Amino acid sequence: MKRRTAMVVGSALVALTMTAACSSSKNGGSSSSGGGSKAYKLAFIQGVAGDAFYITMQCGIQAEAKTEGATVTTQGAQKFDPTLQTPILQSVIASKPDAILIAPTDVSAMQQPIAQAKAQGIKVVLVDTTLKDPSVAVSAIASDNSGGGKAAFDAIKKLAPAGGKVLGVGVQPGISTTDARDKGFADAAKADSKYQYLGVQYSQNDPAKAASIVSAALQKDPDIVGIFASNLFSATGAATGIRQAGKQNSVKIVGFDAGPDQVKALQDGTVQALIAQQPGTIGIDGVQQAIKALKGEPTTPTIKTGFSIITKDNLNSAEGKAAAYKASC
Amino acid sequence: MTLADTTPTAAGTAAVEDVPAGRWQRIARIQALQIVLLLAVTVAIFTILRPGTFLTPFNIRGIVQNTSILAVLGVGMTFVIITGGIDLSIGSVLVFSGVVADKVMAAQGGQGWGTVLLGTLVACGCGLGWGLLNGVLVAKANVPPLIVTLGSLSAALGFAQILTKGLDLRDAPQTLVNKVGFGNIVGQVPTLAVVAGVVVLAGIVLLHRTRFGLHTYAIGSNAEAGRRVGLKVDRHLIKVYALAGLLAGFAGILNLGFFQSTTIGGQSNTALNVIAGVAIGGTSLFGGVGSVFGTVIGLFIPIVLQNGFIQINVQPFWQQVVVGAVLVTVVYVDQLRRAAAVGGRKHYRFPFLSHRGRRT
Repeated sequence: MKRRTAMVVGSALVALTMTAACSSSKNGGSSSSGGGSKAYKLAFIQGVAGDAFYITMQCGIQAEAKTEGATVTTQGAQKFDPTLQTPILQSVIASKPDAILIAPTDVSAMQQPIAQAKAQGIKVVLVDTTLKDPSVAVSAIASDNSGGGKAAFDAIKKLAPAGGKVLGVGVQPGISTTDARDKGFADAAKADSKYQYLGVQYSQNDPAKAASIVSAALQKDPDIVGIFASNLFSATGAATGIRQAGKQNSVKIVGFDAGPDQVKALQDGTVQALIAQQPGTIGIDGVQQAIKALKGEPTTPTIKTGFSIITKDNLNSAEGKAAAYKASC
Repeated sequence: MTLADTTPTAAGTAAVEDVPAGRWQRIARIQALQIVLLLAVTVAIFTILRPGTFLTPFNIRGIVQNTSILAVLGVGMTFVIITGGIDLSIGSVLVFSGVVADKVMAAQGGQGWGTVLLGTLVACGCGLGWGLLNGVLVAKANVPPLIVTLGSLSAALGFAQILTKGLDLRDAPQTLVNKVGFGNIVGQVPTLAVVAGVVVLAGIVLLHRTRFGLHTYAIGSNAEAGRRVGLKVDRHLIKVYALAGLLAGFAGILNLGFFQSTTIGGQSNTALNVIAGVAIGGTSLFGGVGSVFGTVIGLFIPIVLQNGFIQINVQPFWQQVVVGAVLVTVVYVDQLRRAAAVGGRKHYRFPFLSHRGRRT
């Protein structure tokens, strides 16, 4: 019996030390670049892991941190959800970084957990998404999302000038950024009498659900002329839904974000325009604000970053290439 | 919570009749010890790797808080799995109960304890309703538990979305959020953990010290034998599923306090995470064997691993791989040990055969 107990413990030991060894060798590179006695420890918590938007932001954060002589660790949950992000944030707080850059996954659910970080003396910077009460953070940096929604409607107006029905495909309510995008789009669409706004449907950030929403919507209203998909996974799914319905030529789709999938969809002609945010810039600004706060300098409470419109025409230009998101740094 | 009072004596007598009680008790003690040891070693490794940040009051508090709601669900799930069943619906029942409680509390108004109590009763009632439905379908309609609860997994979430139009509700009263979700009973002891602790203790007593618990083991071990000696198997199964539903409803109100949101999209993996904890904790998915204490430790292990991995900065995707590997390894080793304990040396090489052979 003792031998078996030893086996469990032994195998756990092996697994743990192996992963620990992997991670520490990975850390070696980044921490050695820190140098200096004032090497700040930063932590970045993504809204969801493996998303090109957050990877591009991570690239910006890492590059800026390197020039500032700070180190960065990055963590993210498998889904864009507060129930998964809360334990990650709590673990990161426990590891005592000097500052946390976080994309909160819910305006109210993340409020208390982030307040705990502040209570532990950690400087918090909100990147991309925000909170009900953003005053817990030294700075909140995001795209001008409402303006982005308007721009998406402008893009549809250009692509379908005759007017008609337009639909929004959102992620889920309660996310400040996508709510603002949807609202910007809705306001612009309602203000234009040539277009009929069909409302917004929520995909829960699931491409399969976005696809089924769009194909169902096309069953009900076959004369939809434009769809605005307000985030990456919604656009991926919306493109699939349109392909399922065989409406590639009659329905114009404008996506928000410019990940590899979106760029490919743009190349294929399934998506006609992309409203690209500037996640790299958000990341760079975030690190700068965090360092300022750590040095006791005044910070900017709210920073709005711009966006670029990518179409097939400017996709291969230097401008278009810079605007597209990265799959890795 | 000590080791001694968790020895599943009832489990021993019900599950493996051919082993003297004294010896089984000793083995059972070792089994619980084994998982505790694994947890201790994990904690020790992370403490060595991250001294000064891992074993801090703040981090322990966080880990315990993150385990609390799962532990409440785990108690019900342990009972269900010991009967040889499964309940996939608890995550959706949690969401549904949270949604209804949220609506009732919003209609009632007020931010005080009265509103919280009303919400708690409503949430528990909703959970109990779903649990009874599951139980009746399993016991009386003879639909396999996997299918029944897969159905209620889908239906309960669907009803929650109908009631809310898919939008998360955020009307949790301030008392619930500040006193229960994030409050402390004394010092740094979170209310959530104390509430979960009480549920766990009640679960341990119910399973290991009462006739209800003994019958649960008996049915899981051999339902037909139970029927022949006069156990009301159907009625007991309904009670067990109702208990799991009730606790899922209760977890719904705790969840509302902790996240201040009904987390409609966030509970799709909850049931599977709880089942993983139950399995790591030494409860057999074939039924007849298991303990609530093991489940609690089994739920702690993945959460401690995730916490530690984040602190040593392991890439998020690798964390899932390791947690999955730990689950399978622990259950495999547990099977080997169990087979050796039951059948002696000759069954040692074929743990799966001997295990199934014993069941059928």
